[in-house]
Amino acid sequence: MTFHKGQKVEIFRKSDDESWGEHMDQYVGRHGIITDPDTTKNDPDALIEVSLEGKGTHRFPQDCLRLLH
Amino acid sequence: MPDIKCPVNQTLSGLREAIEAGRLSNPRSRRIAEEILDLLTDVAWGRAGTDHLTAIASLADELAYDQASPGAMAAAKSIRDALGEHREVFQSHIDTHNCASGDCVRLVPAPCQMTCPAGIDIPTYVNLIGMGHDAEAIEVIRRDNPFPWVCGLVCTRPCELMCVRGRVDKPISIKFLKAFASERALSDRHYRNPAKEPDKGKRVAVIGAGPGGMTAAYYLALKGYGVTVFEGLPVAGGMMMLGIPRYRLPREVIDRETAMLEDLGVEFRFNTRYGKDITLKSLNSDGFEAVFLAIGAHQSFKLNIPGETDFPQVIESIDLLRRVALGDRRIPGKHAVIVGGGNVAIDAARTCLRLGSDEVTIAYRRTRAEMPADVDEVEQAEDEGIHMSFLTIPKAVAGKDGRLTGLECIRAKLIKKDDSDRLFPVPVEGSDFVIEADTVISAIGQRIDLEALSDLKGLKWTRRQTIQANSVSMETSIPGVFAGGDAVTGPATVVEAIGAGKRAAEAIDRFLSGIPQPKMPPVPVRRARVEWTEVPASTKMTLRRPEMPLLNLERRRTTFQQVELGYTENVVREEARRCLRCDICLRCGKCVEVCRDMMGINALEFGFLNFDKPEATDFRVTAERCILCGACAANCPNQAIRIIDRGDERLLSYCGTILNRHKLERCQDCGAVLGPPRYHEFLRKRTQGISPVVNDLKLCSACTRRQAAKIHADNIPV
Repeated sequence: MTFHKGQKVEIFRKSDDESWGEHMDQYVGRHGIITDPDTTKNDPDALIEVSLEGKGTHRFPQDCLRLLH
Repeated sequence: MPDIKCPVNQTLSGLREAIEAGRLSNPRSRRIAEEILDLLTDVAWGRAGTDHLTAIASLADELAYDQASPGAMAAAKSIRDALGEHREVFQSHIDTHNCASGDCVRLVPAPCQMTCPAGIDIPTYVNLIGMGHDAEAIEVIRRDNPFPWVCGLVCTRPCELMCVRGRVDKPISIKFLKAFASERALSDRHYRNPAKEPDKGKRVAVIGAGPGGMTAAYYLALKGYGVTVFEGLPVAGGMMMLGIPRYRLPREVIDRETAMLEDLGVEFRFNTRYGKDITLKSLNSDGFEAVFLAIGAHQSFKLNIPGETDFPQVIESIDLLRRVALGDRRIPGKHAVIVGGGNVAIDAARTCLRLGSDEVTIAYRRTRAEMPADVDEVEQAEDEGIHMSFLTIPKAVAGKDGRLTGLECIRAKLIKKDDSDRLFPVPVEGSDFVIEADTVISAIGQRIDLEALSDLKGLKWTRRQTIQANSVSMETSIPGVFAGGDAVTGPATVVEAIGAGKRAAEAIDRFLSGIPQPKMPPVPVRRARVEWTEVPASTKMTLRRPEMPLLNLERRRTTFQQVELGYTENVVREEARRCLRCDICLRCGKCVEVCRDMMGINALEFGFLNFDKPEATDFRVTAERCILCGACAANCPNQAIRIIDRGDERLLSYCGTILNRHKLERCQDCGAVLGPPRYHEFLRKRTQGISPVVNDLKLCSACTRRQAAKIHADNIPV
């Protein structure tokens, strides 16, 4: 999945990526908006910036995100 | 509303008051009290860990030892009592990051503020700007971000993506309002630093004068630390200066905001490279007790195609942008090809055009739809005459006699692979072609300079070749060494680096004070609660987000003048009035439910309350249906909806938006206010058959009873 700025997403699961912090567990199930995707080369491995409703803005690995339609 | 007070908030306020009133005269007691205050603040901000309550209790015990000070004894008792009686409420703040009473207002910030990586109190400053208080607005911003002008011009504005007004029509133009207020405050000489805390007698080294490093330096200086920023280049700004072209961010903007840090006492040492001129050992021996690494990501990835290293005309975009930023205005080539599809590729292309290149082409492997650069940036580049060559895979750099002549490419098609829903570019056989060029510029990403940090043997790295740091406290694997910005996240945004610098300053302060680090990211601080401005519902709905005026195309193609010209004052004041004041309305939806389900009126068309699937919003509809009963206002937990009688009118307002207004009727007997006719009529229909009607007179309930009793007495024979 290629993510674009402004898309609504859900943190649908924890990630096994090393960038996943313990405090991020509470974000699973939360909805948010992509605020800064990888703006260089669409790298599926890049951490992308998501703003979660009421929970702030964080960088997530892309394997824990899914688009909301 | 039941009057429930939050014990966390009460304890915090009581202790703060005791400190400020000087009731803790012994310096040791005052220090302990301040540490408790920090820990309680963590609890009230929802960022405390499991050991915070133990630490508070233990510090309260220490405070109680000061038996010579009644103030210290009283403070210790009140903290112990609160923890004893309401421990579960304290624990709930830690576990849920919510304050059920709503007293801990920091736990209910507006979505825009919550979204901002720097945590700026956006509703407050937007509304201050709306009132014409630009300098005050900048003071509010600079408590959370030392670079309001920079961010007013180049922020990626995540706040606007989360702006609730965007669910109605278009988000508030937050970024441009900030730029306007910054310029105005600087021009009026009202752009000031906050007050500094007393000198702590400790020194901190910051490596890198980019947004992250300078933000950390700003907050550490404000906290009373001696801060020195070491920068390898001869100028401050980092990627703000070197990576962002001047037509987007003039140098004066960075220089002026950097000068504010120097006013705070931050020392800059330029042309000083970490790993070459200084090391961790040398810094420690020079008396620096903590180090913040904010070295950015300044090295480019290679194209890895034949011919790349054979011609000096193959350059890296970040090198081009750096040398132009430092004053070099030589044309890289008359025909430039930039490889990449991100923002840096766009910046390099637009820079070539301004340096005098006749033809500039961006070669990108996928299509416009997959292009990662900002849509606005791509549009502006195309307006200026940049060519886009999509589905183009670079194959080799071609040249003759040591001169580059073109970029050999092959056409791509996008295919889906079985295990992924991404589209991958694959070469189309036999579709080779050449883009004629005399310079090729690679713009396919940046990485950090690992070599520079090679003396830090214990430093852990991620598999992405970035520094491994705790994203909350910015601690690295080496005690006393903190890191943030692009060096930790990889290439990211200016405002993220600012947020990281701020968190690092807080963590360094804790490290040097020996208090535990937070476990959760900070909840942003509400800096003020400014009054709302009254706006009629029709105005609120019809005001439109203004377009940003741009420099004319000829100048954009030939000079580095700022492209975005800024809003005029009238436009700024109007735009601020579109704000929905989400710092006051918590969007709980109780007003809508009460009006629709309890009163059966359904006068509030607030479709914006739903984040996932916003529905239509029209504040004007309320006036058509509302009876001004006040049920919505009575059930609003935050007084966002208010019903007031003003003169001979009753008004219903939602965060200053006048939803409905009607003339009041008065009791025809005693003159008491009855409410507007619609409301009176609604009550009359509801109470028909129960309440007596007295000669069709409009009477208050007391007069109705009195008159009815009189009729009753007159008609019953004695």
